[in-house]
Amino acid sequence: MKDAVPLEMARDTAIFGSKAVGLGEAIRQGLPVPPGVALSGSIVEAVAGGEEEAIEEVTSAARPLHAPLAVRSSAVDEDGADASFAGQHLTLLNVPSIDELTSALNEIWWSANSDSAITYRQRVGLFTRPSVGVVIQELLNPDSAGVMFTRNPITGADERMIEASWGLGESVVAGLVIPDNYRVDREGRVLERTPGHKKIAIRSVPSGGTVHEQVPTELVERLCLDEDQLEELSRLALQSEQVYGPARDIEWAFVGGTLNLLQCRAITRAGI
Amino acid sequence: MAGAPVEALKRVPLFIDLDPGEIEQIARLFKERHFSQGETVTREGSGGAAFFLIESGQATVSVAGAERAMLKQGDHFGEIALIDEGPRSATIVASTELVCYGLTFWDFRPLVQENGAIGWKLLQVMVQKLRAAEQGYLPDLTA
Repeated sequence: MKDAVPLEMARDTAIFGSKAVGLGEAIRQGLPVPPGVALSGSIVEAVAGGEEEAIEEVTSAARPLHAPLAVRSSAVDEDGADASFAGQHLTLLNVPSIDELTSALNEIWWSANSDSAITYRQRVGLFTRPSVGVVIQELLNPDSAGVMFTRNPITGADERMIEASWGLGESVVAGLVIPDNYRVDREGRVLERTPGHKKIAIRSVPSGGTVHEQVPTELVERLCLDEDQLEELSRLALQSEQVYGPARDIEWAFVGGTLNLLQCRAITRAGI
Repeated sequence: MAGAPVEALKRVPLFIDLDPGEIEQIARLFKERHFSQGETVTREGSGGAAFFLIESGQATVSVAGAERAMLKQGDHFGEIALIDEGPRSATIVASTELVCYGLTFWDFRPLVQENGAIGWKLLQVMVQKLRAAEQGYLPDLTA
């Protein structure tokens, strides 16, 4: 059993975590997921501990990917843990080269074993040994990105709700901007579009990490998705529901006109 | 060699009575962890996840905002919260770039439970702290 596999070969959540397996399934079903590698919880721990054999296996599996890389945690220990540990386990956007994967994985492993993660585990009654898988993907440099709910997470209405901003979608996920908001019906008709106030765009920098860039004034309140892009997102919503079932929470990004699916999970908010 | 260097562990008073084979076994359980200057390593009142040995750099220990001690290479900290599963008893902040070897609760507990010599040594350290506390002096709080 290999512990570092191409994403499309990640099938077991107990080994690779729900994020990796969800993306693997998306690739197998033909959804537009950027190429990547899934690491098991045990190999992440071995790399964090400096075991040469594990480091070589990870390096060799990740070599086909073009740096910079996005390295995301994929918790493997409990049902639904990926969602509940969001914010506890680290994601490292823009690891500049394969050589820096070892220290990135060490950081991610320690994030699952940090005092704050343990405090959280004690509070929610999950005081068990953490295990954290990892997804490594080529880092995108999106023109626009955000989230899409295939059902309205607030009202429960059978419509798509899309939030979008400039640059990496982390600005939307982290609440750093007021994103554009779009409501689209199941047939792809736009019901409502509300421009946001997007003063900041998160961009990757060549030396590693990300930077918060000021958005030019004329773009702050300009809608960042056009009709064709909304249609494409609408098709992605439909495909995702066909693969995973209804009520999905999707992270997406447009790069040079190409739509990418970054994450797809069940909606966990109230109203559904 | 994965884990902590055996030589670093030999310098630690906690492990001084162990034979080389035992030290090698323990060394494999440790994982390196880097903290930047100014980074909070443990926060008083937070849950405790790991026990640390300092490989290089220095850290300050404070309790209720008052600085109590400076930790340096070879010092260890973090065992109290791991033993009683209670909150951290002190805040520790890296005063320089700090490189530690850490052992999480999940590896620390079986290590102590299975190794009487380490358990005895820990007990001695705890008693020293108790005596110091009774005398109103806390020279070496270790979170």
